[in-house]
Amino acid sequence: MAIRWLRSPLLLLGILLPSLVSAAHSFENTAIVRTVELGGALVHVTTTYAIRALESGSQKYTVTLGEKEGQLTSFLEAKLKGKSDPLNVEGHPLDPTEGTYEYTVELPSALSVNGTVNLVLDTVQTHATRPWPASAGQNDGQAMLYESDLFVLSPYKTVTQRIKVRSPSPRIISHNTPEGVSFSTESVATLSGATVTYGPFSNIPESANAEFIAQHQKPVKVRYNYEHPVPEVKSLERTAEISHWGANLNIHNDVVLHNAGPTLKGQFSRIDHQTQVFHQRLAPHILPAIVLHLPPGAHSTYYLDLNGNVSTSRFRPAPSVPKAAQSNKYSVLELRPRYPLMGGWNYTFTFGWDSPLADSAGYDAKTGKYIVGVPLHTHIASSVVDKAKIKIILPEGATDVEVVTPFPPISQERSTVVTYLDTTGRPAFTFHYENLTDKHTGLIYVTYKVPLSAHLQKPKSVAVALLGLFAFALAARRVDFRLNKP
Amino acid sequence: MLLPLLALFALPAAIFAAKESTHDSLVKLAAQSGGIIKLNAQTYDLLTSPTRDWSASIQFTALDKRRRCSPCREFDPAWTAVAKAWSTVPKETRDNHFFATLDFDDGTTVFQKLGLQSAPVVLIFHPSEGSRRSANAQTPTTYDFSSGFDAEPLAEQLSSFTPIPIPYRAPVNWALWGTVGTLALVFGLTIRFLAPIFRSRWTWAALTTIISLVMTSGYMFTRIRGTPMTAADGSWIAPGFQNQYGQETTVVASIYGLLSASFLMLTLVAPLQSGSPNRQRTQIYLWSGVIMLLFSVLVSLFRVKNRGYPFKLIL
Amino acid sequence: MPRAYPLPTDLSPATVTNTKSLVRIVAFALISGAAIASRLFAVINFESIIHEFDPWFNYRATRVLASKGFYEFWNWFDPTAWYPLGRVVGGTIYPGLMATSGVIYNFLQAIHIPVDIRNICVMLAPGFSALTAWSTYMFTKEMKDESAGLLAAAFIGIVPGYISRSVAGSYDNEAIAIFLLMFTFFLWIKALKQGSALFGTLAAVFYFYMVAAWGGYAFITNMIPLHALALLLMGRFTNRLYVAYSSWYAIGTLASMQVPFVGFQPVRTSEHMGALGVFGLLQIVAFVQLVRSHVSSKQFNNLLFALAVGAGVVGTVAIVGLTYMGWIAPWTGRFYSLWDTGYAKKYIPIIASVSEHQPTAWPSFFMDLHFLIFLFPAGVVLCFRELRDEHIFVIIYALVGSYFAGVMVRLMLTLTPVVCISAAIALSTVLDTYIDPSEPDLPVPEADETSGPSETTTDAPKKTKKDKTAPPPTSSGASVTELLSGMVVTPPSTSKKGAAKEKKTGIFGTDTRLAVILNAIGMLMFFVVHCTWVTSNAYSSPSVVLASHNADGLQLIDDFREAYYWLRQNTPETAVVMSWWDYGYQIAGMADRPTLVDNNTWNNTHIATVGKAMSSSEEVAYPILRKHDVDYVLVIFGGLIGYSGDDINKFLWMVRIAQGVWPDEIQEPKYFTPSGDYRVDEQASPAMRNSLMYKMSYYRFHELFGGGQATDRVRNQVMPKTGPTLDYLEEAFTSENWIVRIYQVKKEDPLGRDLKTANAFDQGKKRKRTRPPVRRRSAA
Repeated sequence: MAIRWLRSPLLLLGILLPSLVSAAHSFENTAIVRTVELGGALVHVTTTYAIRALESGSQKYTVTLGEKEGQLTSFLEAKLKGKSDPLNVEGHPLDPTEGTYEYTVELPSALSVNGTVNLVLDTVQTHATRPWPASAGQNDGQAMLYESDLFVLSPYKTVTQRIKVRSPSPRIISHNTPEGVSFSTESVATLSGATVTYGPFSNIPESANAEFIAQHQKPVKVRYNYEHPVPEVKSLERTAEISHWGANLNIHNDVVLHNAGPTLKGQFSRIDHQTQVFHQRLAPHILPAIVLHLPPGAHSTYYLDLNGNVSTSRFRPAPSVPKAAQSNKYSVLELRPRYPLMGGWNYTFTFGWDSPLADSAGYDAKTGKYIVGVPLHTHIASSVVDKAKIKIILPEGATDVEVVTPFPPISQERSTVVTYLDTTGRPAFTFHYENLTDKHTGLIYVTYKVPLSAHLQKPKSVAVALLGLFAFALAARRVDFRLNKP
Repeated sequence: MLLPLLALFALPAAIFAAKESTHDSLVKLAAQSGGIIKLNAQTYDLLTSPTRDWSASIQFTALDKRRRCSPCREFDPAWTAVAKAWSTVPKETRDNHFFATLDFDDGTTVFQKLGLQSAPVVLIFHPSEGSRRSANAQTPTTYDFSSGFDAEPLAEQLSSFTPIPIPYRAPVNWALWGTVGTLALVFGLTIRFLAPIFRSRWTWAALTTIISLVMTSGYMFTRIRGTPMTAADGSWIAPGFQNQYGQETTVVASIYGLLSASFLMLTLVAPLQSGSPNRQRTQIYLWSGVIMLLFSVLVSLFRVKNRGYPFKLIL
Repeated sequence: MPRAYPLPTDLSPATVTNTKSLVRIVAFALISGAAIASRLFAVINFESIIHEFDPWFNYRATRVLASKGFYEFWNWFDPTAWYPLGRVVGGTIYPGLMATSGVIYNFLQAIHIPVDIRNICVMLAPGFSALTAWSTYMFTKEMKDESAGLLAAAFIGIVPGYISRSVAGSYDNEAIAIFLLMFTFFLWIKALKQGSALFGTLAAVFYFYMVAAWGGYAFITNMIPLHALALLLMGRFTNRLYVAYSSWYAIGTLASMQVPFVGFQPVRTSEHMGALGVFGLLQIVAFVQLVRSHVSSKQFNNLLFALAVGAGVVGTVAIVGLTYMGWIAPWTGRFYSLWDTGYAKKYIPIIASVSEHQPTAWPSFFMDLHFLIFLFPAGVVLCFRELRDEHIFVIIYALVGSYFAGVMVRLMLTLTPVVCISAAIALSTVLDTYIDPSEPDLPVPEADETSGPSETTTDAPKKTKKDKTAPPPTSSGASVTELLSGMVVTPPSTSKKGAAKEKKTGIFGTDTRLAVILNAIGMLMFFVVHCTWVTSNAYSSPSVVLASHNADGLQLIDDFREAYYWLRQNTPETAVVMSWWDYGYQIAGMADRPTLVDNNTWNNTHIATVGKAMSSSEEVAYPILRKHDVDYVLVIFGGLIGYSGDDINKFLWMVRIAQGVWPDEIQEPKYFTPSGDYRVDEQASPAMRNSLMYKMSYYRFHELFGGGQATDRVRNQVMPKTGPTLDYLEEAFTSENWIVRIYQVKKEDPLGRDLKTANAFDQGKKRKRTRPPVRRRSAA
């Protein structure tokens, strides 16, 4: 997220000025509780701020992240406790002097003095964990290491704070207990079951500044067993082609998959693998197959790689539902790579499907505009997409096009694609994203007009071509090339 | 009839060997019997004595009729020819390599000692000392018959063990040239009378047809693979799709021939029977029947060769 | 004149001709459809994929052509093939095939029809088969008439002998070559008939295309001169022949020399000398004719004749002399082995080792040509009946083709067209004879002939009349030879007059007609069924993906692509892979890695090196591997699922080829048991069991069976209890069904120990820690 903001200077200018103002110490955190749900490629962090206003009319609350976690965080959302609708958040670039990222959360209503509110901040960190040890044999288990900071930074005083680190597997192998921690009364770290609790720490001063970080900030290290493979999509290139003639939305994905688990120690032995499969105790870092959820009504799916069709895949389609009706059904595509993905192995493949355009498109009669929703990406369970390039190809001759994205892309450009029997070519939009997670689902909405003439473009051109051909044939047949006429 | 004579020679040679050096005696032996030492048990031990500065190539064979070893008799001439070729090289080099033949009947013990089951076998013994000393002097090299019983490959391969390559040159095949010459002559003489035959296109037609029939029924296969006319047990259909006996060629070719002949009958001859409709009718039905019958025979024959073939006609 | 059955009489000639052409077009469309459809089994059963071995290289080259353009392709040096030598691809291939599909690809791109280059390559052969059918039609039309042409087209469209090399996905030179062959021949015949330089030039142009497309062009290079020579010897020299041949030879030769791979061969090698000789001969004869037509003096003519003969002799002597002096290369091995059939096995084992270079047994003839094979001689004889110049061509073609097809399985391909043609001639003659409604007049003739309706019928009757009108009235008892000779002496009269004469020959009655026609139709139907069966069962599997029929239907065995893809994805770009040459092209195409040897077997020594490495023990092989910086060794092993085409079965050829170069290090007999048979079990000879190939094939194979008996399903032999061990290589990857096994060559030991001892040391240490569960079970 942070990086994303850095890359859009336009937004920067707009935001810098208020951010300077909002540094007033108008709040106090009565309590901060951070819960870290450890995982493979993704780590979900939930921080609850119990806020007390010191001045009345103060509405802009500032949340800060340390430099490292700021860079790791790819998704950030603030809510009031118990409410579902997110508050709007303004992000700011890295403050180089203090080494923090600031996010200004706009509270729904200004607080009066001593007014309290509970703010819940959901973030998702990517690449926050790494396999430790970094390589494992074919029959070994898989252990991951999570590193973070001890104190939750805040530009306000904090009465008490604690951090809970929860591991998905029942046991945590080891965790560190930082030495010489200030503000702590009793034990710094306590391990109970699958959870390590750091804190409580009390009466922490304003911590979102360089000297606090330098003096008091301590690292947190937790090493835990992880029972699932750690797939990582190095790059995803999605092309969505809208065809009015075929009443079809084709979505085509080129995926570079990488097993980010511990790299395979030694060599791959098929016989050991077959034994594991036979006894159904596959080592956790081996990725034998991936399961994808396609929209209902998806049909004629395909699964290829550079050497042609991969025969080992299964597809369970769900019937198509019109876009109005909400249904929780989805088609399931189960892909099995040609070979089981050991730690550190790569596999590039291509998959795609067609779905009836009616399911994802609508027509607004009075503006005469079509609106089509294209899914941003298809999430592979507990994986992160490092780089995504999503291209939407509109029908030939589409005019005044508008695009709405659920999440601001890093960059986007417009181009023209010329394919099947096109003459003028089709307008296309390309969006670049990074570190997409399971939270980044959603639709990119495109609205456009297509005049009737554009619809008739293809038949016209084809007809003209054929007529030309016939005319030529007619002429050629009647010309006599012989020198000596009989 | 040489045999007893040679045996006579062999004994004294063995005795001399004690006094004069073994090598000289071997040279003598070689000289006496025109390049090939006719071995027996003792002389064999002489020739392959553990310390030797000469190399030797020995043919183990069983030329006696009673042994019924046709390959032996097939291979012997090539062996002799190569040995002769070797005996033409200058003395000093020649005497460093000996050609010898040990017949089963002369040295049964040797055969047993070497554990030889089959004949002919050619072993090359390398010198154990001297300039051409080789590491594995005690283990003779076995000649590889995979390239046949001909003299050229033999000379070629042995040359890599002799001090200098064996100056073998394939003899001119006089017989062949002779026949060709005479045929040409005969042809030249009788051309005047044969001319009409050669002029007639039907001679050529017959020729062409026969050749193409023979070729398309696997004649070349039998030629190249040298498959026998029939199997040893008399069965004339070779099992397997990619295999066949000579007999099959004849049968299949004749079936093809008959079939096409009957087609020709229907095309060329039947229409000419404008004299009597009935005669023509009978002919047509006859030939059609023949075609049906032969074709089904052919198909069933094919089913024998290709087990998986699902179709069949009346048969 | 009596008729067997009534004909419509109220048809205008125009209607008839139009209907005829319409019927022809429809029939032809159907034939093309059948030809293409019957080649799609592979695509339907499997997928649109390139087949077996050579096609993979062609496909790769085509991709280069399509992506980089023609000039890049023209001087493309491929450093990954024949590592470390590399290969100048542009100069060592026949670019015709790639160029063709490249052009098609670019054209489709230009009109905005984005078709994947792979699909173009896959569908090229079926597409061209339709064209082949067309050119065969044209050719046969020249021989007899349209009806025969259509029959021939139908035959060649679905005959297995041609399908075997042109199913969808078998993207090989033959795919387009047969079309070019037939079309060049057609143009040659056309040129010969009309004596037109235009057709001669066209023939030359297509000859050039053929030269650019297939090494088999030498067949044309020798067929046409042979035809010309035969015509000369039969005293049939005409100016038409002169013009046709000269224009073809001059332009064709110059054009063919533009293909870099051919270069100066047309003037430097014996394969092409025949054409040159005939060219010279024609000049001489033409000259003689010319002078003779002008000069009258008898003596001068004789003198001239003597001179001409002298010139001919001198020319021949010159060619022979040049050959001996080495200016003209003698026959290359591949061609020579066609004449001296024992040659290849002795001197070029690589050629002999290829399965499609084996001689042909009769069942494969019948399998590939079915009932055409016995119609074929009949057709040839019919060609003799009216011996026009073009018929002589067919006759020669029949002779040569059947000989070559007998010698080499793959040359069945060149025989197939002529078989189809002459079979079509035979069959259509039969049908003409028996469909013709007009009955002969009985000896007492009533002379009311209305030949009008017979003209208005389909043109068959006319043709038949044309063919065999007016042999002298022969007594029905006359012997066959008499009849034939009778027909011989009467030259085929040209229609009108013949039609005017009263009809003496023909068939009486309808039942006879029906009998023969039904018989013929039955055979044709059987032929169709047979072709479909053969195609779907024998010729439609892309040896890259294997299919196995088990309980739940057809199940794909995709090990090759699995392993190749693993190589592609998880090894460094520059990792050198060593395998037997069969798999070189596939590795280059699918795994995209450098290979030591591949299917264009131009360097015997290099292949022998691989053979040596495979067939010698680890200690011996290791230095070789390291010298060629081999990183991975790939072997094909069918022992687990019974895939018989694996490396152990090819092993003897590796040994033989290695032995050819290092006779004193590798000896074939050592790999047999003392009793002289080829075994891999307990009795296997030590040389066999120590060979790298054996070890890599069976490494840890017995463990798969737990404690039980490990059996090799291909050889049906029980493997030894203790499997081979590897010290210098380690198993890197094994595909799901163990068909492909890839081993990594270890680097030298960092401590400078000999790898064997180092390995032993590690084993000693490791034994406690990591051992696969299977071992534990088998040990218990």
